[in-house]
Amino acid sequence: MNLLFGQILNGIATGMLYALMGLGLSLITGVLNIPNFAHGALFAVGAYLLATVSGYLGNFWLGLLIAPFGIALLGLAIEYLGVRRLYAAGHDYQLLFTFGLALILSEGIILVWGPVGFSHLPPPILRGGVDLGFTFYPKYRLFVMAAAGLLVVLTYLFLEKTKYGAIMRAGIENKEMVSLLGIDIHKLFTVAFALGAYLAGIAGALTAPIRGLSPGMGVDMLGIAFVVVALGGLGNLLGAIAAGILIGVAQAVVAAYWIEASTAVIFAVMALVLLVRPQGLFGIR
Amino acid sequence: MSKLSRRDVLKAGAAAATLGFPAIIRAQSKEIVILGLWDQTGAFADVGPLNDRGMRMALEERGMKILGQPIKYITRDGATQAGTSTRRAEEAIDGEGAKFMIGPWSSGVALAVSEVAKRKKVVHLFSGGTEDISGARCHRYSFQWAASPYTAAKTVVDNFMKANPKAKRWHLLVADYAFGWSVEKYVKEVGKAHGLEFVGADRHPLGEREFSNYVQKAAANKPDAVAMINFGGDAVAGAREIFNFGLTPKVPLIMCWSSGVEELVQLAPEIRENLWVGTNFYYTADTPAAKAFVKAYRAKYSIAPGYAPSAAYSMTRMLLAGFDKAKSAEVPDVVKALEGLDMNDIVGPMHVDAATHQTLRPYFMLRCKPKSAMKDELDLADVIATGNTPLPKEYGACKDIGSL
Repeated sequence: MNLLFGQILNGIATGMLYALMGLGLSLITGVLNIPNFAHGALFAVGAYLLATVSGYLGNFWLGLLIAPFGIALLGLAIEYLGVRRLYAAGHDYQLLFTFGLALILSEGIILVWGPVGFSHLPPPILRGGVDLGFTFYPKYRLFVMAAAGLLVVLTYLFLEKTKYGAIMRAGIENKEMVSLLGIDIHKLFTVAFALGAYLAGIAGALTAPIRGLSPGMGVDMLGIAFVVVALGGLGNLLGAIAAGILIGVAQAVVAAYWIEASTAVIFAVMALVLLVRPQGLFGIR
Repeated sequence: MSKLSRRDVLKAGAAAATLGFPAIIRAQSKEIVILGLWDQTGAFADVGPLNDRGMRMALEERGMKILGQPIKYITRDGATQAGTSTRRAEEAIDGEGAKFMIGPWSSGVALAVSEVAKRKKVVHLFSGGTEDISGARCHRYSFQWAASPYTAAKTVVDNFMKANPKAKRWHLLVADYAFGWSVEKYVKEVGKAHGLEFVGADRHPLGEREFSNYVQKAAANKPDAVAMINFGGDAVAGAREIFNFGLTPKVPLIMCWSSGVEELVQLAPEIRENLWVGTNFYYTADTPAAKAFVKAYRAKYSIAPGYAPSAAYSMTRMLLAGFDKAKSAEVPDVVKALEGLDMNDIVGPMHVDAATHQTLRPYFMLRCKPKSAMKDELDLADVIATGNTPLPKEYGACKDIGSL
C-alpha cells in the first residue's frame, strides 16, 4: 500500500509537468488553431537555458526565473516573424513551419551545447529526499510538484479571472467575433504563443535536474503533450490540466503492478477516453 | 536494308559501354566494399556517429586499402529498427556489392541483420550484449566482438562482491530486449555462488527516460545494491534518478554493461560517487594498441573514446586482420581466417572461438573516482579488475555453427 501511495505521489508530480506542457500546447493550438510541433523543442531549449544561465550566474533560482522568459521571447519572435506570415497560407504551411522549426531548434542545441548530454543537479537545499512516512521521496520532486501546481493554478486564474484571459478564451471560441469587436487579434496570437512557449520553457527548466539534458529530450515530451491536448479536449484548458494529471497518475499506478506497461498505458488511456468521448474529457469540438 | 531490332541496339550499346569504360569496370571489380551499419536516427542516434568515427579511423590507418586493393567504405542508417536496418543492409549488399558489414549497435536489431548476413552469405561483425549471435542463432557468417554476457556478469559480480561482501540484496533494472535478458540471466546465475538475493528485477523499454516509477519500487525493496543492465541514455537517466531519490551514494550502483566515458561524462561527479561500472572498453586500458588509438582519437576529437567508437575501431581491425590472414577478399576465405584468429588489440589478447564465433577477450570493471581525486574532467574511474572467464560449455547454445 505504501508503494501505491508513493507511486500516486510520483504520478501527481509527473502529471503536473505534463499538465504544464499540455496547457501551453492547448493554448497555442486553441487560439492560433495550429499544432505546434516545436513545443517539445521549446521545452528542451528551456532546460538548456536554465543550465547555462544558472551555471553562469551560479544561482539555480535566477536561472529558473530567467530561462522561461527567454523561451517566451523566443516564442514571441517565432509568432511575430514566422507563424504570422503564414496565416493566409493555410494549415499545411504552418504545420510544416513548426515542424521545421523543431528540427532547427534541436540541431541548434547540438551546435551550441554539443551532441553529448549532461546532468544539472538541483540546488543543494533540494538534493536528497525526505521520509514522508509511507515513502522516501526526493525533495526536488516535491518542489516541482508545488511549483508546477502553482503555475497551473496561476495560468488558469489568469485565463479565467482576468479581462485579457477572457479575450484569449474568446479567441479560442471564435476568432472572427473577437476581431469584429475591435480587439487586435494578431496581438492576441502573439501573446498566446509567448505564454504557451513560456509554459513549455518552464516545464523544461523544472525537468532539467530530474531527467538531465540531451538534444532529443523534447521529442518524448512533445508526444505526451499532444496526448494531453487530445485527451483534455482541443483548446480546453481545464481539460489539459486534468488530462496531464490523469496520465501521470495512471502511468505511475500501473508501474506499481505492471511496470512494463507503464508507457503503453498513456496511449491506452487516450484511446479509451476517445472511444467513449471523441471530443476529449472536457472538449466540445 | 536490314532491320535493326531493339535487342541488337541493346547489345551494341552494352558492347560500346564495355569498350568505352573499361577502366571503370576494372576499378569496380577490384574495390572491396565494406558496410558500416550505424544508426543516425532512433534510440541509438547518438551512438551511430561515434561508431562511424571508430570505423573510419581503422580504415584510414591502412590507407583505405587492403591486400593492395582499395576499400570502399559505405554507411547506412539503420534507424535502430530491425525493418529499416535489414532493408538497408540488403540494398547495400545487392546494390553496392558489399560483402562485409559491421554493426548495428542494438542487439535486437543485430539479430535480424545477422539473418540477412546468413542468407546473403556476407561477413558480419557485431558488438553487443545478446548471447544469441554466438549462441542459439549462431552461423558461419556472424562474429561477436563484445565479451560474452557471461564473461561480463562474472567480472562484474565477482569483483563487486570482493569489494562489498555484505551487499547481498540486489535490485535489478533491466532493458527489455535481447541484450538485457542475456546479461540478466548470467548476473543471476553468477550471483548464486555469492548467495545473492534478487529482491526485485524490473524491465524497462529501450529509450525510457522517466525512471521515477522504477526507482521508487527499487527504494521500497531496500536493497544493498542496485544493478542496472541497460545502456546509453537509459543508463544515464536511471543513474540520475537513483541519485535524485537519495539511494546513491549510500547504496552502491552498478552499471553492468556501460559504454564507459560516453555515459560517465553525462553524470555529475556527485552522481558517480559509489558507482561501479562494467564495460567492454575503457580508455585507460594498458595495451599498446589502446594507447595509440586513444592518442589518435583524442587528437582528432578532443575527448577520450568510449565503447562505441572503440568497438567499431577494433571490429574493423579484426576484419582487416582476417583479410591479412586469408590473403584473400573472398567471403569463405575471410570467414575461415577469422575463425580461430588471435590478435592483440585495444582490449588485450583476443581469440575468436571457431566453434561459436564468440571473441574471448577481457572485460573491464571500473570504480568511479570521487571528485576530489579527479585530475581532469575525463579522469572518471580506475580500472580495478579485468576478467575473461569464457561461457561454460554447459550454457553454450551454439551446438553446430553449420556450413558456408
